Amino acid sequence: MENDTHSGGTYHKIKTFDQKNWVSENLNYKKDSGSNAWIMHRISGIALIAYLFLHVYSISPLTKGEVAFNNKMQAFSSPVFMVIEWFLFAFVIFHSLNGIRIVIVDWADGAKYHKQLYRLSWVFGIILFLAMGAVMFAHELKNLF
Amino acid sequence: MYKYKASKDTGSKSWVLQRITGLALVVLMIGHYILMHYQPESGHTYAAVLARMQFSWYRIIDLTFITLGMYHGLNGIWNIFRDYKLKQWAKLSILSALVILGIAFTAWGFNIIFSIPYINSFSGN
Repeated sequence: MENDTHSGGTYHKIKTFDQKNWVSENLNYKKDSGSNAWIMHRISGIALIAYLFLHVYSISPLTKGEVAFNNKMQAFSSPVFMVIEWFLFAFVIFHSLNGIRIVIVDWADGAKYHKQLYRLSWVFGIILFLAMGAVMFAHELKNLF
Repeated sequence: MYKYKASKDTGSKSWVLQRITGLALVVLMIGHYILMHYQPESGHTYAAVLARMQFSWYRIIDLTFITLGMYHGLNGIWNIFRDYKLKQWAKLSILSALVILGIAFTAWGFNIIFSIPYINSFSGN
């Protein structure tokens, strides 16, 4: 019983999270699928709420009538914006699939197979991402081939 | 142990709500993508928006969507802050900033949707 603190044995110094160096603490932490999912869920979540604010702002010309709205939307129809929207969809799809995984882990015994669920959500996510790209850029793809 | 000092709220209600709103948002998001963005015109022209908004169901769905999205998103941001040990004043100011932001942008979104007129000649409800 070397580690028993009650019998006057050796105390083990427990490594706790050092808040002052949270960047390096997070980067040095040995990550497996769960912690990767956790950190990406946060990043995508922050991106999505930021986009929701932007989305309210971008459709606000609806109050000013047809001309103002159509002019604004013209700006968002450029190819650059479409590529940005495509990657926004990647954030949406990761956050949705990982969110479903979290709910399964919490409520449906998913803790036993959460790593398989993680891999499965990547497979589904990449398929959906490519499918969305094919739908969004159908016109451009048709011109290519 | 979680009831120590600061609050009687253990956060379990917000935990459950975060999951329920999350699942609802997945469903709403699928509908949003199909209905709004299946064709470029359906989301990007005033005429299409006007035609869609003649049906009150679309308005109700959009109002639900923005309310749930704001709650889920800002509660998520608050959950990130809760992971770190913050001073009481920092907690209070962050929380109030998030609540004000949420209410302001939700009200803005509601205002945008309510500003779209109903046209009498259109056979909607």
